[in-house]
Amino acid sequence: MTDPILRTRGLSLWYGTHQALKSVSLDMPEHQVTALIGPSGCGKSTFLKTLDRMNELVPNVRVEGEALYRGRSIFDPQVDVTWLRRQVGMVFQKPNPFPMSIYDNIAYGPRTHGVRNREKLDAIVEGALTGAAIWDEVKDRLKKSALSLSGGQQQRICIARALAVRPDVLLMDEATSALDPISTSKIEDLITELKRDYTIVIVTHNMQQATRISDRCAFFLQGELVEHGETTKLFSMPEDKRTEDYITGRFG
Amino acid sequence: MRNTFDTELQDLSLEMISMASTAEQAIGLVTRALAGRDPEGAREAIQLTRGMEEQERTIENHCLRLLLQQQPVARDLRTISTALKMVTDLQRIGGQAANIAELAILLARQETQASLADIRLMAQKAGAMVKRAIFSYANRDVSAAKGVIALDDEVDGLFEKVKDELVELILSNHAAADQAIDLIIIAKYLERIADHSVNIAQWAIFSVTGEL
Repeated sequence: MTDPILRTRGLSLWYGTHQALKSVSLDMPEHQVTALIGPSGCGKSTFLKTLDRMNELVPNVRVEGEALYRGRSIFDPQVDVTWLRRQVGMVFQKPNPFPMSIYDNIAYGPRTHGVRNREKLDAIVEGALTGAAIWDEVKDRLKKSALSLSGGQQQRICIARALAVRPDVLLMDEATSALDPISTSKIEDLITELKRDYTIVIVTHNMQQATRISDRCAFFLQGELVEHGETTKLFSMPEDKRTEDYITGRFG
Repeated sequence: MRNTFDTELQDLSLEMISMASTAEQAIGLVTRALAGRDPEGAREAIQLTRGMEEQERTIENHCLRLLLQQQPVARDLRTISTALKMVTDLQRIGGQAANIAELAILLARQETQASLADIRLMAQKAGAMVKRAIFSYANRDVSAAKGVIALDDEVDGLFEKVKDELVELILSNHAAADQAIDLIIIAKYLERIADHSVNIAQWAIFSVTGEL
């Protein structure tokens, strides 16, 4: 196993008095897809959002324990959140392109980070759209609104937008749950492609998707990390009865 | 959804038990036919094993449908995939029982020159192994499955004994050679039935422990 690029140690999180994460210790190795599974409200999305400090936007949130990105604490006051989110990109459940052209959607991040040169921007946009497997579909209409695209295309635009700032890690929160099977399968293929260059952490409610695309899998229940390990092992011989009961549909 | 699935898994178990019972019945029938020189009994046994082909297809279709509809994981996946493997062993057992029946029909036309006591004992043990192996699967009972595997040594021992006796017969009575060779082949089929039961028992253990 390669070295973990993201690692948490005893990570706990409270929304007010409600404890949403209970001392979670998990390694997410480089160039692998780690899937987080568990019933609604189990803490998997909270865990994902903690990895790029998006939870700080929620009032009354309190965090304890450690989360390390390449060995460095992401909670360190020295860490610039903008820098962190550039390294650790996020794709959400519902495609959320900005109400602007396809080109401007992708160029938005690089421009924010100070890239002004047109040729450079063109290259970044083409690279990101190619990386997200949608270049051929949109190259002739880059000036059109991103909102004119289908749901599956919009989601790949969002992935391209995340790739445009050259992140190290991609977090995906149920990135295919709003898509039809063909778009889903395109994004699943894309994830498998992307892991050569990126480290990917996904949240999914689709067990088959987790078995298809993830290398490692982590099962959360009521804020607790119950079991984690190689996906094939977890789905064929889970160690914990709660994992077995969840993946076989006995609860959840 | 889970309730429907659980009912389906129970039905699958029952189908497996039913097919194993048919196999056991065919083995019993064919052994009696052999001892009683009863070609009708042997033909009846062949009929039974033909029915097993239908049972095999039903079980395979059931497994494939469950794989498609339920996309099983963990214990469920092992239960269904082992059923698919076991049904092949059960089918082979049926085939071997039918082969024995064919020989029994031939042997019924001749005077019996050899003692059949040990062959009958082998058949009894092999038949019991088939049924116990399937029950150990249905009940997820690892120690029962291990018991089946242990019985194999007894059947192997009996096969050696039968073989030695029949070699003796051939040496002392050349006229009985044909019959002795047929009986050795029958004993070998029974020994193979026991081996298939061991396979089934090993799959039963896998379906519980996940270890091959």
